[in-house]
Amino acid sequence: MLELAIGIILGCCALGAGMAMIAGIGPGIGEGNAVARACEAIGRQPEAKGSITSTLFVGCAIAETTGLYALVIAILLIFVAPDMLVGILTSTLG
Amino acid sequence: MKKIDKTVLRETKFVAIWVIIFSALMQAVFLIINKWDYTVLLGNLLSGFCGVVSFFVLGLTIIKAISSGDTAYAKKLMRASQALRTLFMLAVCLAGALAPCFNIWATVIPVMFPRLSLLIRSFTVKRMGPFDTPTTDTAPVTEVTEAEPAEDEKEVNGVE
Repeated sequence: MLELAIGIILGCCALGAGMAMIAGIGPGIGEGNAVARACEAIGRQPEAKGSITSTLFVGCAIAETTGLYALVIAILLIFVAPDMLVGILTSTLG
Repeated sequence: MKKIDKTVLRETKFVAIWVIIFSALMQAVFLIINKWDYTVLLGNLLSGFCGVVSFFVLGLTIIKAISSGDTAYAKKLMRASQALRTLFMLAVCLAGALAPCFNIWATVIPVMFPRLSLLIRSFTVKRMGPFDTPTTDTAPVTEVTEAEPAEDEKEVNGVE
């Protein structure tokens, strides 16, 4: 019974890590769209290149935050959460 | 050797300074909770350095994509760059988790420091104004003068 519970915990952690990494798809698409629009904007107003680039920098980096949060959560779910949860389970069941 | 864009260097410098500040704070917290050892320092150094490098590469990619002028190419370049940078950070986190000389918490937490510094940056930009360099085609606010009232308004207000 204990082995089954540990197996379920490990499986759920792996599943959660995989699902968290779905969030890594979005930032790439978003950054691509943002830079494409910035290209168009610079084409229309070349004199505003400096300000567009500065704003784009901050925007892209903040957009990427989502992917990095997902990565951190996935890493913690794989390497930290199983040990903690199994420890809690075994200490509860004695 | 190709010259690096000034905006990239300026932003990277800002991020690097704030990463150092946040790292010092994290080390202080580890010291306070009595969990500090050399693995915390090594993990922090690895992760902080790689975070700044990732941001620098992001800047270089943006400059390259913008200077190309082709929107389709820019989209593809940014997607490829984002995927590669995420894999790079994944490798860093895996090294922190698997190698015994790195503390996993001290490796994973600094990954988010460049983004925290950009949050501070966004507050600073909001306070200063939306853009660092004002464009020349906008009229200065100080030169705006009060307009003469229209004829209809003069009649209504009784002004002769």
